[in-house]
Amino acid sequence: MEDFLYEAVEIIQTIWDGILFGSTYALIGIGFTLIFGAMGKLNMAYAAAAIAGAYVGLAVSMFFDAPIIMVFAVSATFSTFMGYLVYQSCFRFIPTNNHLAALMASVGGLFLIDEIIVHTTLGSPMNFPALFEDAYFEIGPFGIRGDLLFVFFIGIVSTVLLLYVLYKTRLGMATRAVAQQDVAAQLCGINIHRTNSITFSIAGFLGGIAGAMTAAAVGILSPVMTVPLTIKGLIVTVIGGLGSIPGAIIAGLFVGAFENFFLYIRGIDERDMYVVGLLFIFLIFRPNGIFSKTINRD
Amino acid sequence: MDFYLNLINTIGIHTMLGLSAYLLLQTGQLSLAQAGFFAVGSYTAAILTVIFQWNIIPSVLAAMLVSGFLAFLVGFPALRVKGLMLVVATIAFSEFVRMFFYNLKWRVTRNGEEIGPDGTMGFAEIRYFSDNGWSNLEVTFFLWAFVILIMGFIWWSDQSRTGAVLRAVGEDELAASSVGINLTVVKVSAMTAGGFIAGLSGGLYAHQVTSLDHHSFTVLLGTFAIAYPILGGLSNVFGTLVAVIFIQGLLVEGLRFIGDWRMILFGILIVLAMNFKPLGLFDKQTMDIIKKAVRV
Repeated sequence: MEDFLYEAVEIIQTIWDGILFGSTYALIGIGFTLIFGAMGKLNMAYAAAAIAGAYVGLAVSMFFDAPIIMVFAVSATFSTFMGYLVYQSCFRFIPTNNHLAALMASVGGLFLIDEIIVHTTLGSPMNFPALFEDAYFEIGPFGIRGDLLFVFFIGIVSTVLLLYVLYKTRLGMATRAVAQQDVAAQLCGINIHRTNSITFSIAGFLGGIAGAMTAAAVGILSPVMTVPLTIKGLIVTVIGGLGSIPGAIIAGLFVGAFENFFLYIRGIDERDMYVVGLLFIFLIFRPNGIFSKTINRD
Repeated sequence: MDFYLNLINTIGIHTMLGLSAYLLLQTGQLSLAQAGFFAVGSYTAAILTVIFQWNIIPSVLAAMLVSGFLAFLVGFPALRVKGLMLVVATIAFSEFVRMFFYNLKWRVTRNGEEIGPDGTMGFAEIRYFSDNGWSNLEVTFFLWAFVILIMGFIWWSDQSRTGAVLRAVGEDELAASSVGINLTVVKVSAMTAGGFIAGLSGGLYAHQVTSLDHHSFTVLLGTFAIAYPILGGLSNVFGTLVAVIFIQGLLVEGLRFIGDWRMILFGILIVLAMNFKPLGLFDKQTMDIIKKAVRV
């Protein structure tokens, strides 16, 4: 009985930690979703740009001894710029109906950013400043890591901010108009390229925060994080339903919990295999994601 | 001489890998799983020749069947829904395969020596060619026989109704389905054919390099696989061959003196090429120029 209780507490603790960490996946998923919603295209270079932002934030903290909040701000700012740059180099000049070319260009962008990171850091992982190392709250038998709680909090703040911008400002209205019908939006006098580059920048901002959050929660920053983060973000986007922001949030938290649970029972080597299995279960039984209303296949 | 033979072998294998993505790209779908099928093919063929001591030809054919079947399994759920799902499903699948071989341990003892895949240490005892006394030149001929066979097959499909159907789906799915083409059947068939070809090339690759390692089958390899046909253009198979010769011969081998910076060039090359030639090097414009030049 004692053993069983101990085990149950451990598992609940694991899932709880996973949900908190899942907020980073939710943010990355929202970024993919925003860009997909705006252009109907996947930006494969997105998570790499997010990690690049975290690297710049780390560089600032190393050279200027900046406080942790500055690290997040610099990461977000640089990643915003990267989002704009990716739009200009991989999407702006490619014909809108050519999905293959834009996708391929952004995959090229992913490897370009990845290689630049590998070369500037000589490929070795770097320590990321820890957040509130001694903060640890205890509620009965459960504990909450202060850094994960902070990460979760930042995730919520950024999401609320994003929803405000999307639904309460003129800019958000223009973004949604372009997403719904780009030709009609253009006829109403909305500059599509300007709106799209702003959408990419907003997504980049969220990505930068998510990149710094991931690095802060894991404690290290390494170029090998880009591809797994891209894959997790894409899985979250699919499970949440392409183009659905609430879906991306729920799916992000769910994937975080799911992967931490399998990390606990099966170990690090097999963890990602189960996450991929989850993706295929969704593709077969619920191809339009958690919040799908109708089945529309095209 | 051996250096050039190896380079020619690499070009042959990568051409097959590129062509494995070619058919599916014609239908307008992008699969990043070619590296995964390639890995499955190479491990399957190598296990068959090393552990079960099969002949090379049946093992390569078996590898081809296994990969093709897997491509069918992956493609079916992903291709029923929006095309972009395929990108996500295939990139995840390819990492799944890599993780699987990273964890795969299957050691058997033969003649007092332990052989077989050894998890993170890789699979290093694939000595079929040297055990059976094949010279390097024979290996090259053997390998290129398959390359030419596949190029011929795809060339034929391009000229026939098959190619027309594939291209119709790629041009406009709505128009294609309204003339009675079953989109899912066409896309899944193209995906399966791609799996067959990738498995075959993987089986040959395993025996040519003699040792396998999960590091060789990352998403980067999958990107190479789709980059060749996209950079070369989808109008005919020679575009892929030219792109492979350019990237493997010139970028990877020719520029060896600048070290690892080559991979940065690869990224820049893709981004630039897509901006200036979104339909590949051998698009309609280039083909018209070539046709005019040939006529004069």
